[in-house]
This record gives sequence, structure tokens and C-alpha cells, in this order.
Amino acid sequence: MTASLFAIGRSGAATARAALDLTAQNIANAATAGYVRRGAVIEEVALQRPLDAKVSLSGAKVAGTARFADPFRQSELRRTSSDQARADSELTGLRDAETALERSGLHPALVNLRAAFDRLAADPTDPALRSVVLDAVSVAAQGFAIADQSLEAAQAGLIEGAATDTDRVNTLAQDLARVNLELTRAGGGDRSVLLDRRDALLEGLSQSVDVATTFGADGTATVRIGGTGGPALVALGTVQPLSLTTAANGTLSFAVGGAAVSPARGTLAGSAQALSRLAGTRNELDASAAALIATLNTAQANGAALDGSSGTPLLSGSGAGDIALALTAANQLATAPAGSPAGSRDGTNLATMRAALAGSDPAGRIDALLLDVSGAIASRAVTRDALASIADAAREAFSAQSGVDLDQEAVNLVRFQQAFQASGRVLQTAATLFDTLLGIR
Amino acid sequence: MQPLGTAAFYGRASATIGGVRARAEDLQGSIATGERLTRSSDDPLAASRLRRLAQAETLSTVDSANAARASADLSLADGALASIADSLARARELALQAASGTLNDSQRAAIGSELGQLHADLVTLANARDSAGHALFGGETGGGAYALDAAGNATYLGTASSGEIDLGDGATVTRGLTGPEFFGPGGGTLDLIGRLASALRTGSPDPRTAAQGALDAIKAATGSIGTAQAVVGGRLAAIDLTLERAARAGELRAAEQSQLGDTDLATTIAELQQTMLVLEASQASFARLASLSLFDALR
Repeated sequence: MTASLFAIGRSGAATARAALDLTAQNIANAATAGYVRRGAVIEEVALQRPLDAKVSLSGAKVAGTARFADPFRQSELRRTSSDQARADSELTGLRDAETALERSGLHPALVNLRAAFDRLAADPTDPALRSVVLDAVSVAAQGFAIADQSLEAAQAGLIEGAATDTDRVNTLAQDLARVNLELTRAGGGDRSVLLDRRDALLEGLSQSVDVATTFGADGTATVRIGGTGGPALVALGTVQPLSLTTAANGTLSFAVGGAAVSPARGTLAGSAQALSRLAGTRNELDASAAALIATLNTAQANGAALDGSSGTPLLSGSGAGDIALALTAANQLATAPAGSPAGSRDGTNLATMRAALAGSDPAGRIDALLLDVSGAIASRAVTRDALASIADAAREAFSAQSGVDLDQEAVNLVRFQQAFQASGRVLQTAATLFDTLLGIR
Repeated sequence: MQPLGTAAFYGRASATIGGVRARAEDLQGSIATGERLTRSSDDPLAASRLRRLAQAETLSTVDSANAARASADLSLADGALASIADSLARARELALQAASGTLNDSQRAAIGSELGQLHADLVTLANARDSAGHALFGGETGGGAYALDAAGNATYLGTASSGEIDLGDGATVTRGLTGPEFFGPGGGTLDLIGRLASALRTGSPDPRTAAQGALDAIKAATGSIGTAQAVVGGRLAAIDLTLERAARAGELRAAEQSQLGDTDLATTIAELQQTMLVLEASQASFARLASLSLFDALR
């Protein structure tokens, strides 16, 4: 009987020690990213004793480690933070486009261009006013070039970011495949560490793409991209890498193992959306530049320069990338109608030019382009804020369940310490009983 | 409600306090720069409206400068027309004297030489230049308005019209007068005075008859100068009206610009105060909450 008291006391002390160890582990990892709170699952041990069939007591044992992670909350966290990552990444790209257009000073340059032509109407032969027009045309051409270069740089930045993200996805997928294999080999032991790593890898993947995840009974994960019907990125130990293709206009397309996918969430989806918008913006910028070139050159061709010769093109190039001032001297501006003598003050062709400029309204087009981009940013910012608060709520819900709460651990520390001390007292009582028996004379 | 995990508690505190700080910095920035919008996406429609207002402002400045220049040229024309009217008045006096029978031929010749001087003055006035050095009465020509041939007859070299100048909002004004508009076609008044001077000086054709015949023509010429002056005065008044209207429109634009784009200091400062209060409160409450640890109670 004393022997079983010893055994029960020993098992009690051992389980309390194990629970204390887990509490210490929780405290140590209170700030570890991806760590899920653990607890000891303590079970009663009941053995039939040979001498006393009515009583079956043999103490307690640690049956396993409980990992406080709810798969539903975890998948919600992955989905919502993936949404947030997409919105963030798209917004960053659009802000780059807005900065490119705004900081290029293109809109004020085009306004000044019109103003310079208007001012020249006061005296079409004034060499100073003619030079002002040429300067204004040159500044507007530079404005187009700067805006185009900045947009191109923004595109290049997004494309490089997407390439880095794609590499990251493939690295994470390889790691996940290894974890999957380790999970199949782990058998019945403690798999909490492997599961923590698996979940951290899945969360990392969901930052970049939308992952549809299914779990096997042994905890292995199968990851598909682009919904549950999409191609498998990771299936047990095999990885089909994600590949990225950049089109000539800077738009992105993705494929997994040769099958085209279009991610709906994650930074890659955001970058792809921002890049497709940027391609449109650059197109419109090019079209605006081409329209300005055509407007001014057509009017210039219908007029006569100050020396009576017929007008030569005012601008060279075909779009925002190569637009440049083609005239070398201010007296080449064809303000007079064709066939006018040298030195003519007749401003008829200048009036045509001004009317054409007012009609095609290049400043208005750039204004509309800026309004389009900034309007998209303003509305996307609202969506982003909403998605961020949804993701925050999901993160809090998950962390309330899975995160380490130091107060709770402090309580556990005291509780299991007392349990350990009490088991010690049981052992002491057993020893006293034993001594009592030994002391019988 | 379950309490947050420790890591989540700290994460949420730093996100909240960071958010309030960012808001306070935004407000501080808009107070310091005086501009409500730092980028278009802060308020896309207002930013677009501001761009359009700035464009209207730039173009209206040019229109006003052009109008002021046209006004200066018309004033020069007005001055020249006044001098021409004075010269014609003197020419009429001289023609009256020459028409009377009490003068002999040599006295008429003397009057003729003064008229010759007046003719030269009139030619100079007819070729007057504007502020940019162009012929004031030559329409859109690059050279002078009138030239004299060997016989002293004037020819108009300018173009048929003076061209118009934009005053903005679709309003235009003709920027000057051409010589034929007040001197009549060809040499017109100039030749009239020239021929009279030559007749008085040389005695042929009959100077007295010539002087009598010229009197009505000089009167008519003076009348058309008066008409031209009235036209110039009317155009100057129109330009003044346009400039006034542009100034008023500019004030309205400035008011709208300020309303759309400027920081409303009272509201912004109040909002900043409120934000600072929230920031201080959340910092203080974070410090209090973070200092609560059960471990402190364990001995």
C-alpha cells in the first residue's frame, strides 16, 4: 500500500513538473512569432490492483501536449491578412503612379504652354514672347518625359518586388514540403514544433498569394493557388514552383507547374492589379503626348515662319518617352498663315494653334488622368482600411486563443507549484507510514 | 471576452498609439504648410478643381496682361489722334485765311509752307509706332503705315485690319485703327493737306479756289478723326470693364481656392488638440496596463 502511495505521489510530482516545464516554455516564448500556447493534457492512471479489486488508483500521467490553435480561426487569419496584403500592395503601387504624375509638374507645364501661346497673341513677332513659347514647349516635353520615366521606375519597382515575392513563395513552399515529410515521419510524438512551423509557413505564403489549404490526418498540408480547384503548389513532399511572366507593357501573369493561375489575394495579386493600372496610365500619358505632338505639328505645318518659309514640326517623337522640342530657333514658330511674307505680324495661324490647343486640352487630359489615379487611391484606401480592421479582428480572435498570456501563465505557475509541493507532501506521508511500519517492535 | 495574449496586447498598443501619432503629425503638417491637401488622393475632386482653378488663374493673368498691352497701344493711338485733330484744326484756320481775298500770293505761299510743315507732321503722326515698335495705324504690317512717293502723294502700306486680341472668356477687342479708317482710302486727308500746301506755295491751280475747296474736306476729315477718337475711347472703356471683371473673377477664384485648399486653422488646431489628448491618454493608459503583472505579486 505504501508502495502505491509512493507511486501516486511520484506520478503527481512528475506531471506537475511536466506542466511547470510547459508553463516555463510558454513564458519563454511569450514574444515568439508563430508560437502557439501549449498545455499539458493530464490523465488519471487507473490500474486494477491485485489485493484490492474494488479500488483502482495509480496516480496521473501526462498524456500529451495540447496546442491551443483553432483551425477555423487560423484559416480566417490567413484569408484576411492575405486580403490586407493585397490591398496594401496595390495601394503602394498606385501611390507611386500618383507621385510620378504629380511631382513631374506636367499639369502646370501644360497650362503654362497654353499661357505662353496666349501671350504671344499680343505680338506674334516679338522675339522674347516667341522664346517664351519655345521654353514652355520644351518644359512640357520634359514634364512628359519625367512622368513617363517615373512611371516606368514605379513599374520596375513593382515588378522586382513581385519577382522577390515569387522567389519567397517558392522557398516557403520547399520548406513546407520538408515539414510535411517530417510530419509523416514524426509518428505519435510531440509535433507541436512542426505544426507551429507549418502554420508560420502557411501564413508567410498567404501574405504573397491566396492559398487554399487542406490538411491530412497527420497534419500535412496541401496548398493550392487560386482557389480549391487551382493547381497544387505543395502536395505532401512535392512542390510545383510558382512562375512569373512579365509582359512588354509591364503586366504580370502567373503559373503553377505550367497551369496559369490568377491570385486573388496577397501581395502578388496587389502588385499585378497595380501594374495593370500603371500600364493603362502610361498608355494614356503616351496618347496625351502623341495628341500634343500631332496638334502642334499640324498647326505648325499650315503656317509660315517669321522668315516666310513654311513651318517645320515643332515637336519630335511619338509618345511620352521620346517627345522633344524639334525647333532650334524662336523665329521658326509658324504664327502667320502659309504664304505670308517674311516678318508678317498676321497671327491667323497662331490663332488656329491656340484654338487647337484649347480644343485638344492636354492639361485637361492630364488632370483627368490624375483624377482617375487619385480617385482610385482614395477609394482603395477606404477598402484597405476596412480589410485591415477585419484582419486585425481575426488576428485578435486568434491570438486571444493561441497567444501566451503572462497573467494566465503566472497563475499556472503557482497552481502547478502547489501541486508539486502537495505531491511532495504525499511522498513524505508515505515515508512516515513506511517508518511507522518499520518501527513496529 | 478572453484577454488578448501578451504579444497581441503590446502589438495592439503600438499600432493604436502609432496611428494616433500619425494623425497628429498629418494635422501638424497641414497647419505648418497651410495646405489642406498634401497629395491629390487626399481629396481627388477638390485637387482636380484646384488644378482647374490654377489653370484659369494662369490663363486669366495672360489675358489681363494682353488687355493691358492693348490698352497701352490704344492710348498711344488716342494721343496721336488728338495731335492729328490739333493739326487739322490749324490747317482749317490756315485754309480759311488763304481762302479770303485779302491776301496776296506771297502771303498765301507763306501759309502754304506752314501747311507743308503740318503735312510733314501729319505723315509722321500717321507713321507713329506703338510700344512694341510696330506701326500704330498700319494694321498688322511689319513696316511703316504710309510712304510718300516722289510727287509727295501718300500711299497706305498697311493691312486692311488691325487684328483682334483676346480678353478672355470669349471677349475680344480690335487692337488698333488702320490709317484708312480715319484718313479715308489711299492718301486721303494726308494728300488733301499736301495738295493744298503745294497749291498755295506754287500758285497753281488757283490757290484761293483750292483753299475754298479744301475747307469742307478738312472739316469732314476732322469729323472722321473725332469719330475715330470716340471708337478708341469705347474700346479703352471695354478693356477697363474686362479687366475689372477679370479682377472680380480672380477674387472669386482665390476665395474658392482658399476654401478648397487651405487649412482651416480653427478646426485643425482644435482637432490637433483633441488628437494630442487622445494620444496622451492612450500612452498613459498603456503604461498603467503594462505595469500590471501578476509576476510582481509572486514572492
